[in-house]
Amino acid sequence: MKNLPTWLDPEPWLNGTFSAQEAQDALSAESPNEETLAALLSPAAMELLEPMAARAQAITHRHFGRTTQLYVPLYLSSYCPGGCAYCGFASDRKTERHKLSFEQVETELAALKKMGLEELLLLTGERTPQADFDYVLKCVELAAKHFHKVTIEVFPMSGKEYGELAAAGCTGVTIYQETYHPATYKEMHRWGPKADLFQRLETPDRALTAGLRVAGLGTLLGLSDPIFDLLALYRHIRHLQKTQWKSGLTVSFPRIQNETGGFQAPHPVSEKRLAQIIFAFRICLPDVPLVLSTRESAAFRDGMAGLGCNKMSVASKTTVGGYGSEGSEEGQFDVNDNRDVETFCAMLREKELEPVFKNWDATYR
Amino acid sequence: MKRPIREHRARPNLVDCKLKCPLDFCKTHDTLCANEIRIMKNKTENLKLGPYTFQSRLILGTGKFSNTETMIRAIEASGTELVTVALRRFNREMPDDDLCAPLAKLKNIKLMPNTSGAMNAKEAVRAAQLGRELSGSSIVKVEIHPNPHHLMPDAIETYAAAKELAADGFVVLPYIPADPVLAKKLEDVGCAAVMPLGAAIGSGGGLSTADMIALIIRDSSIPVIVDAGLRAPSEAARAMEMGCSACLVNSAIAAATDPAAMANAFALGVETGFAARNAGLMQKREIAVATSPLTSFLQ
Repeated sequence: MKNLPTWLDPEPWLNGTFSAQEAQDALSAESPNEETLAALLSPAAMELLEPMAARAQAITHRHFGRTTQLYVPLYLSSYCPGGCAYCGFASDRKTERHKLSFEQVETELAALKKMGLEELLLLTGERTPQADFDYVLKCVELAAKHFHKVTIEVFPMSGKEYGELAAAGCTGVTIYQETYHPATYKEMHRWGPKADLFQRLETPDRALTAGLRVAGLGTLLGLSDPIFDLLALYRHIRHLQKTQWKSGLTVSFPRIQNETGGFQAPHPVSEKRLAQIIFAFRICLPDVPLVLSTRESAAFRDGMAGLGCNKMSVASKTTVGGYGSEGSEEGQFDVNDNRDVETFCAMLREKELEPVFKNWDATYR
Repeated sequence: MKRPIREHRARPNLVDCKLKCPLDFCKTHDTLCANEIRIMKNKTENLKLGPYTFQSRLILGTGKFSNTETMIRAIEASGTELVTVALRRFNREMPDDDLCAPLAKLKNIKLMPNTSGAMNAKEAVRAAQLGRELSGSSIVKVEIHPNPHHLMPDAIETYAAAKELAADGFVVLPYIPADPVLAKKLEDVGCAAVMPLGAAIGSGGGLSTADMIALIIRDSSIPVIVDAGLRAPSEAARAMEMGCSACLVNSAIAAATDPAAMANAFALGVETGFAARNAGLMQKREIAVATSPLTSFLQ
């Protein structure tokens, strides 16, 4: 099996053991690095959750203010030729497939606009004839007419295609590596265009080179040893900060949720562990936006708001459509925070955090 | 739980305060350098930015506040007359999310749209024009940071945008690295002031560029405003003591436990520093000055 490139391989920082004092030292590191992150992700740092939260909160306030940026996902299609073992839209799932017509897309956009949201994430499965590049391009064009910030989480594309999307008004791309662990990646991505780890790995770089301004990275927590994946994710971000210095980068922390296929996470991550991970990333990547979706429970999101994450999805549906119409029956995964925009914003305000709907302008396209 | 808002005392009116040295008194000191005399003469003058004059020398940024009410309270407590607001936070379609409209309602406060988010001169020029159209204000803070993480200003693109906007009639205040050569070049193309950074935006690093800012002040014929990096009012006071014409503060106020109280403290810091500068700081000396001259034995 092909090895990870040296700039990404987390091997030198794996299997380290950290004392309580070393974890404490990492907490106040002046120039955080891989060693710092490894220490903050270690069992020893589990005992430091409170001071880690305090440090993470102070950094978040300083860099992002007392604000939380909002975005909303819109699933365009559930067709997928992919064989991702953990996904409710994988091609071997018996789920009925749906795709929004352009007319339905307009209806959904109007409903989302009514909710006041200004940052939209458009999603599909892997590339299929039903939802191909031209379909995504048209949906971006429609969305860009109404929303200041339109981003995509679809399938890896060529540089030329990303360039066309940027010209049509697309600002960013979300592309999770899911896992950086080659053997696990192979096991989890059983067939389809996503089966090649390295092709996926190069995608953020290709999209940013082609003119998209922001790339969202993440690993699907639960698939593999989180220390391996998180150190690789950190190294991936640090690499892109050097090679794509003009680009924005964000990090998300999706945890495997129940889906229709009944997939069980081989390396489950508890809420407490997830909090530790987010605090550690905030300390080691102080100026990178950290994102938390409605996969997580309302109570967890309430607690984490402003503590490390500065960007959250709201009122999300993971069904195809569902904002302006009824939507498909089954979603990609279960949403655990079903609150509407108003209720969620009321919570943020109660915590003295300003919900920010618009933090971009269509003029920067 | 909401924190109770404290009462803020009115800021002292230092313009009429006896602490400020009368000009006639200063004239008796023949050791003052030309630059100091220039500042002495300015001491009773207001801050001038293009055609606009301001009594307050504290400028506020408007991002990062926990809510609009807190932002407005901080602005009021600061006594500022000029606030900057990012075009990307203008939201005419949703009043609750809009930063521009509530600021535009404030009496005696001038709006200065900024181009934060722009990656190059072309985008900044477009954003400035849109900002002027939407806000009705022709003062613009040119802010171009291609790297959205450390937010360091792009000197090359900022120069290009500032030149074009100044020629287009804007009152241009560019946010720049603390570079004395760039500062003079921006003055030459018609900027109303230059705004060198004290440290990275949101870093609270203070006046880490103090030596370069001192050089910019020494040679500048337009106001020099420290923008970004200040954490404590004492740093604002130091910037003013050095000869800065004003300070622009956002994170330090928005991230404070009590933003309005901190805004007031910064106002006092700026005024104290300005008053100290005008009062004529004593010269620093490397050696003690002996009461009896050491060389009195020489004929």
